[in-house]
Amino acid sequence: MPTARIIRNTLLMALVVAAFAVSFNVTEADFPRLFRDLPKGKDLILAFLTPDVATREMDTRTISIAFPIPCGSAPNENVIPSEGPRLVPSVDCTDPLTKFTLEGFDLAPNSELVIRWKLPDERLMTAIRTRTDSEGYFTSEVEARPIIATKNGVASRLEVDTLTPVGGLKPSQALLDVLDAMFETIFMALLSTTIATIIAAPLSFLAASNITKRGVIGTSVYYIMRFIFNVMRAYDPLSMALIFAFWLSFGPFPGAMALTVVTIASLGKLFSEAVENIDKGSLEALQATGANPLQTVRYGVVPQVIPDFISYIVYHWDINVRISTIIGFVGGGGIGYYLNLSINDFKWHQAGTAIWAIVIVVWAMDFLSAEVRKRLT
Amino acid sequence: MLRIQNLSKTYPGGTQALKNVSFEVNDGEFLVVIGLSGSGKSTLLRCINRLIDPTEGKVYWDNVDVTAAPPTELRQIRRRIGMVFQQFNLVKRSSVMTNVLSGRLGYVNPWMSLIGLWPQDEKKRALQALGRVGIADKAGERADALSGGQQQRVGIARALMQDPKLILADEPVASLDPVLSHSILQYLEQLNKEGITVICSLHFLDLVHRYATRVVALKDGVKVFEGSAQEIDRAKFKEIYGEEAQEVRAASM
Amino acid sequence: MNNEAATRRPIARSAIASALIPGLGQILLGQRYRGVGILLGFLVMLGTVVWYKDPVWYLSPVLIWLWNIWDAVGLAGGRARSLLLPVLVGLAAAYGIGWQVVEIDFRNADLDRAAAIVRPMAHPDFIQPRRERKQMWVQVQVPCSSEPPTARREEEGKVATVIPDCGVVGETLIVSVNGMWPNTETEVTWRTTIGDLKLVGEGESQMLVVTTDDAGSLTTTIRVPSTALVAAPDPSLPQFHRVYFDQYRPIGGVELSYIGNEVLKGALDTVAMALLATGLAMLFAIPLSFLAAHNLMGGNPITYVIYVAVRTLLNILRSIEAIIVAIVFVVIVGLGPFAGMLALALHSVAALGKLYSEVIEGIDPGPIEAIRATGANWVQTVRYAVIPQIVPPFTAFTIYRWDINVRSATIIGFVGGGGLGFLLVELIRVNNMRGVSAVFIAIAVVVIVLDYFSAKLRERLV
Repeated sequence: MPTARIIRNTLLMALVVAAFAVSFNVTEADFPRLFRDLPKGKDLILAFLTPDVATREMDTRTISIAFPIPCGSAPNENVIPSEGPRLVPSVDCTDPLTKFTLEGFDLAPNSELVIRWKLPDERLMTAIRTRTDSEGYFTSEVEARPIIATKNGVASRLEVDTLTPVGGLKPSQALLDVLDAMFETIFMALLSTTIATIIAAPLSFLAASNITKRGVIGTSVYYIMRFIFNVMRAYDPLSMALIFAFWLSFGPFPGAMALTVVTIASLGKLFSEAVENIDKGSLEALQATGANPLQTVRYGVVPQVIPDFISYIVYHWDINVRISTIIGFVGGGGIGYYLNLSINDFKWHQAGTAIWAIVIVVWAMDFLSAEVRKRLT
Repeated sequence: MLRIQNLSKTYPGGTQALKNVSFEVNDGEFLVVIGLSGSGKSTLLRCINRLIDPTEGKVYWDNVDVTAAPPTELRQIRRRIGMVFQQFNLVKRSSVMTNVLSGRLGYVNPWMSLIGLWPQDEKKRALQALGRVGIADKAGERADALSGGQQQRVGIARALMQDPKLILADEPVASLDPVLSHSILQYLEQLNKEGITVICSLHFLDLVHRYATRVVALKDGVKVFEGSAQEIDRAKFKEIYGEEAQEVRAASM
Repeated sequence: MNNEAATRRPIARSAIASALIPGLGQILLGQRYRGVGILLGFLVMLGTVVWYKDPVWYLSPVLIWLWNIWDAVGLAGGRARSLLLPVLVGLAAAYGIGWQVVEIDFRNADLDRAAAIVRPMAHPDFIQPRRERKQMWVQVQVPCSSEPPTARREEEGKVATVIPDCGVVGETLIVSVNGMWPNTETEVTWRTTIGDLKLVGEGESQMLVVTTDDAGSLTTTIRVPSTALVAAPDPSLPQFHRVYFDQYRPIGGVELSYIGNEVLKGALDTVAMALLATGLAMLFAIPLSFLAAHNLMGGNPITYVIYVAVRTLLNILRSIEAIIVAIVFVVIVGLGPFAGMLALALHSVAALGKLYSEVIEGIDPGPIEAIRATGANWVQTVRYAVIPQIVPPFTAFTIYRWDINVRSATIIGFVGGGGLGFLLVELIRVNNMRGVSAVFIAIAVVVIVLDYFSAKLRERLV
């Protein structure tokens, strides 16, 4: 009936369109805003793209001069030397809210500079970052803001740090921390996959219809196990981790526990399907030889399912590494925790380091597990 | 001596696979069961070692009631009844050796077998069994690396490991081409001559004429014929296989 | 004599080679795979223990090294040693270190605390009996002004009073109310000037509940809460606070609780986010997948470069979980389901792009040849030979992705992406385990139902 089909298809299309329209509303989708505000994300993405992986040992030299604001509130710097590293302001002193020029001579060439105020109460306020030229000279405009005013007869001082790189590149602290966290992440995945396997393997036989679904007790065990697996599988490990972290406090342990629970359900289901797909004939043959039920499982079922089991375990280890990289967001521990911390502290270059580490490790695991599984079948 | 009395089997779905079948098999016979697919041949064979529990009737083997045996005793009975299957029923991912050894499971220490330890003389016996069916050199290979004919020979070697008094062969050659069929059945014939009773279900009448010492025919679960192969004339054949079966027979001849 | 020396020399030589570089002796003896395997295993083990810096585990690479020499000697004599020993050593070290790194400590697993978490979860806060409320309040001044107004208020036959009329933080006040429902539990609470709720029961952390007498009156004492003035601009300035009396009684039937309502909204958000994200991802993934298909792009160097670039981009995006992408979008478009949706969409583009391109790579060239042989043009060939081959698997993968996205959408709210996850984090933060339980049930229902339907749909498609 072509008309019936047309009506059905039109209805279906209308339904799909309506679903998308509702979704559009509910998610408060605002694409103009996305494009308007895209520049807001520029800094973040640029920082992520330039991870903090290497540093140089820096030699820091500091020189300073007293700078009274307003004039006469405190004595000026006694002597400004005429050679050697020195700071020369365009005026000796000034009033608040005026600008003046600061020059520096004979500093370390081609170095980063941090110009800052040292307030009378010893607090430091960074003003400007700049660089020296090849002769060790710099000039910069500085504003005398009211907060820098002299207090109790003590003048604020202008300080300049020259940062000269010495020695070669070395791995940054962020890189070392990320490697440490990644180490923890991989072990979280390894341990939770292993524990889950040990628990899921026997349970999967209970959830296999060809093994368990016999009699009232067997059938109910079968359905209960199926139900438990299906419900547990519905949760993302992160939701589980939230509960476990609430119970066990933060750290890699609750994350690993949450991962274990979800993996048990997931592996249990896959394993039980592998058990259900075995060739029944060979079981029959073993029974016919007079083997007891345990022997039948050992010689009939186990050899048939082992390759499938191993393939699923490797696959899940891959998935679990992936999840471990983010489980720290809620449960603590591993690279996710480090990433969360550095994002909360606005240390975006460090977050970038973590993200790149995640990309590399996940990619490598993906590749490895695919290769291993290819060999198995 | 095997006595089958009034055997009936009704499956949970309501299918009646066997209806009141009775016959006897003397020691040393090569009994062939014939009939169309679905006539109840497989069910009959499986009722003998109770891979399928009959609904009614009795099976006596050497005056022991197989149908009433409790699990432990049943396993004792089963280990003297070898079985060969149409689909070979080997554990494909295990080695040929392990498959043959598994025929011995009813005899060895169950706990040792669970961790995969086998006594040296059992291994020697397995190699001998493989040697008898001519594939001793394949012992280390995975079962699914073998051809169909070779796999069936492994199946026979596994049955041999049971030191059987009786071999049940359920369509042992239905999955093989005609040339291989003869070689497999010759092994069974050889064993039969050494004193092992063989009950074998077969499709093709030419094979029946060549190997059977006696024939039982089933149709829709009912025994319609019992006697020697030569007694099956044209009329009997039509009764067993139905009117349309003629050409099939011609082709198989 | 000569013969003996000839056998002894390879033994010594392999042992020394293996002692210098594990596996080298084995390689020299022709066992290349074994040697490389030993070397790799040894290096991984060594790297792990050196990184972990716990001296106990240094034993394991040493044991593997010793075994490797013994193995080399054995091999030179024609006998390979069992791999069981080094494998066991390796596993023991891996799991031992893993156990320590993951800080597994079941002493933390306090069962009382678990019970405190799980028990409320048996009563999910989803629906509540319908009930009506009777409320009364009275103003009281904190701290006292020179002439505090009388703390007495009448309304619809109800009268509430506070004695004295004003007080300072910590002072005891006598509060009474009459005209309420008789013999009914009444919640007495304090609200500050800006409307913050303060509990006045035990330790200021519990609700004060007093039952009215037969006449519908109650009198009790409260203290001005210690935190009453925390949000006040100037604590010395007299301000009006309120004492509230609330009574509830069931009027039959049930209704959605506040949390229940939020959970429903969150579930809708979650499904909608996933749906929109999948649709959006599909739009972008389809063109990208053609660029990432080897059989279409492998032909000439320029297209091959595009192919490699698109593949690499997709692989990198696929490696970054949606929740990390969500952080970026929350910065750009702010908190809410939109950010979560965009994150899911971006991740799904990568995932779908890969799956689609595999479908395109697996196209059977036979039908294309056959259609072309009938004299069809390019468009006709695509319409009748290519599209019929790719539409069903594309649809199946898209539905599958929607299914996965629903699951991911339940957690994208953890970083501010809206949906059930956002609600879940909020509820955990305020320790509302009954609400958490409602969210968990909602997640299970939504995911399982969609899982079921997506499986059915895919079954019909494939």
